Amino acid sequence: MEAPPVTVMPVTGGTINMMEYLLQGSVLDQSLESLLHRLRGLCDNMEPESFADHELVYLLKGQQGNPFMLRARRSLIHPKAPWHLRYLGQPEVGDKSRHALVRNCVDVAASHSLPEFLNEMGFRMDHEFVVKGQVFRKGVMKVVVSKLLRVLASGNTENTEPMSLSYLVELSVLAPAGQDTVSEDMRSFAEQLKPLVHLEKIDPKRLM
Amino acid sequence: MMSGGPAVRVSIESTCERQVQEVSLDGMETYVPPLSMSQNLAKLAQRIDFDQSSDSDEEGPERENREPWSKPELEEDEGTVKFQPSLWPWDSVRNNLRSSLTEMCVLHDVLSVLKEKKYMALDPVSQDPAMTKTPQVFQLISKKKSLATAAQLLLKGAEKLTKSLAENQEQRRQRDFNSELLRLRSQWKLRKVGDKILGDLSYRSAGSLFPHHGTFEVIKNTDIDLDKKIPDDYCPLDVQIPSDLEGSAYIKVSIQKQSPDIGDLGTVNLFRRQPKAKPGSQMWHLKLEAAQNVLLCKEIFAQLSREAVQIKSQIPHIVVKNQIISQPFPGLQLSISLCHSTGEKKNQRASPDKSKPDDHLYVLEHNLHQLIREFHKQTLSSVVMPHPASAPFGHKRLRLAGPMAYDKAEISSLQQSEGLLEKIIKQAKHIFLRSRTARTIDSLASRVEDPQIQAHWSNINDVYESSVKVLITSQGYEQICKSIQLQLNIGVEQIRVVHRDGRVITLSHQEQELQDFLLSQMSQHQVHAVQQLAKVMGWHVLSFSNHVGLGPIESIGNASAITVASSNGEYAISVRNGPESGCKVLVQFPRSQAKELPRSDVVQDGKWIHLRGPYKEVHWGRMEGRNFVYKMELLMAALTPCP
Repeated sequence: MEAPPVTVMPVTGGTINMMEYLLQGSVLDQSLESLLHRLRGLCDNMEPESFADHELVYLLKGQQGNPFMLRARRSLIHPKAPWHLRYLGQPEVGDKSRHALVRNCVDVAASHSLPEFLNEMGFRMDHEFVVKGQVFRKGVMKVVVSKLLRVLASGNTENTEPMSLSYLVELSVLAPAGQDTVSEDMRSFAEQLKPLVHLEKIDPKRLM
Repeated sequence: MMSGGPAVRVSIESTCERQVQEVSLDGMETYVPPLSMSQNLAKLAQRIDFDQSSDSDEEGPERENREPWSKPELEEDEGTVKFQPSLWPWDSVRNNLRSSLTEMCVLHDVLSVLKEKKYMALDPVSQDPAMTKTPQVFQLISKKKSLATAAQLLLKGAEKLTKSLAENQEQRRQRDFNSELLRLRSQWKLRKVGDKILGDLSYRSAGSLFPHHGTFEVIKNTDIDLDKKIPDDYCPLDVQIPSDLEGSAYIKVSIQKQSPDIGDLGTVNLFRRQPKAKPGSQMWHLKLEAAQNVLLCKEIFAQLSREAVQIKSQIPHIVVKNQIISQPFPGLQLSISLCHSTGEKKNQRASPDKSKPDDHLYVLEHNLHQLIREFHKQTLSSVVMPHPASAPFGHKRLRLAGPMAYDKAEISSLQQSEGLLEKIIKQAKHIFLRSRTARTIDSLASRVEDPQIQAHWSNINDVYESSVKVLITSQGYEQICKSIQLQLNIGVEQIRVVHRDGRVITLSHQEQELQDFLLSQMSQHQVHAVQQLAKVMGWHVLSFSNHVGLGPIESIGNASAITVASSNGEYAISVRNGPESGCKVLVQFPRSQAKELPRSDVVQDGKWIHLRGPYKEVHWGRMEGRNFVYKMELLMAALTPCP
């Protein structure tokens, strides 16, 4: 039996093309409490949910072009929970009036053998870090307030040090392609957080 | 100086150290600045006549030489000129005081002389009458003028007071608005958009996914006319709710006999109850609560109608206007309707069938509210939150579906299987079945007297299950004849009967089945009672059958039969009892008592007359005794020989 043809285009049939709408901002450590109180009041009425995750970024270096990047993330608090594999595409260059960063997003839940599998596929781990913080939700919007910690010894998540003296605030929505009203809702929500934190769309390409 | 009387002490105080130079327009006084040291010196120096002094010093002797005769005069002049400026500054004061003292002493002397009345007398001064007339006019004019000034002052003061009062009231109204706003904010979510204050009365922050915005606006109501009387329900704050949430609403769930024609369905009519206003609650609170209730009812109805259309069921549900109609049981119709009245029109067009007030199943309406709130809570449970945090929202177990390779059956078992409509239909079915079971038992109990039916309903029930214990007893013999005890578990569509002897029987929802079953149990009870009675009376049970195969066939259940013999064996009683055919009692006599014995060649011996012989039927209806078991006891007692 001959090998099945390898297609260059990703298989898209049968799944909905999901887009991630993203707004980012940051607060200093001393302003964290007031931001958390504000979010507790604005978001849905639930107990605040803390999380601690370990993320590994894998790169597949091809012969040409940019390396292909995948992000694998696992929860440190719930070790039995499945791993989460994520692909984020390039930000869409739509009209400039769109208020949030829009990019293609593929989310897959994976079992605990994910790192070995990726290694077998040819991916190499580029870097890893630990993220700790809290998650809030308002309807479909997700607000993540997190602190990024550097892993000092590879694989050892106990020894970590914070990368900065501030917390990263991300407002994201996962929606099927074509729904532009989502960015309006995100903008109005970001307005309500205005003096505490400024959430805006930050193009990752400009940072590099 | 004062040699006359004692020394008079006079205290003197200077009014002002410094003189007022000028009074400005706003009342500020500018004082003459006090002289500084150099200025003072200059002033004093000015007083000194340098010509005189220098002349006197240097040319003194020359002057003396020149004009020796004018020297004393000159000295006098100088003296007077010199001494005048250095006169004591209080001198004028002293002189005035002295003169006033003199006057006072004179007056005092005159008055003391007058007191004697010997040397001086007082006489009034005669007044010119012509002088007194004109002062009256003057008096009038002067009085008028003074009154006018006084009145003006008072009016000015009053004007100031009213102005300050109006300002106070205005401020208080503003404060009232602010305090009302504070009260509103303590109970409802508010936010400021531009210069408008908007609020949110939807359940979205509690987990609802209904797309209604639920925004209300807060309006200031402070510009009222102060002159008119303030109405009792005046509130400085008013809320404007969205127009489609006005009025009040409720969900009506009712079970009726199936209407013969589908075309008869009209808009279910509303309305009776007015929400009771709690004392002390404001108008805005009532308005907002009513609007929130309307929104919740709309959400419930939208969810129910969506499920009615989407979910495939054996008998399809009908959604028409504001009603959802489904058939829980054949011949029965469950209608769920959203009744929304805007409150303006009192009597809407009356529906063709007047629905009775107790047609409305309030329990199910309450349960619908509870179910939708449960649904809200589920969207907010922490089970939905992602771990790791970058994962999308979703149930924790469902996230394992990919890695663990669940198949369709496992996934469907994880997801919620029943919607709101199915749940409420099940509950309605159960309620209906339960009430019909109760009605059946009660009607049977009132109809049949001989074995009595007792039903003990359990207090604690489920929404889908209730239970009742049915006892069939005979009056007076409850301790002896207690073999028929049935536990009925009423479910959604079936009734499960557990017998005391362990049998489990499942009955359908037909009420005839239950009735027939109970009747057959009652007939069995009679025969069981005879069996128990025989034990007590000392009779022996010869044969017993719950379901005899002989005799006419009963349409309900089976007949049962028993034969008992007396303790000395002389008599025997046979009983056959059927649910329809009633009871038949036969007594077997000993051969010796039989009137006509068939002569037989086989049975020759005399000892055979001690055996039991033919049967005779008892006229059971003419027996004495209030129930079957009592009659049976009497019969047994009559047939038992005395020792």
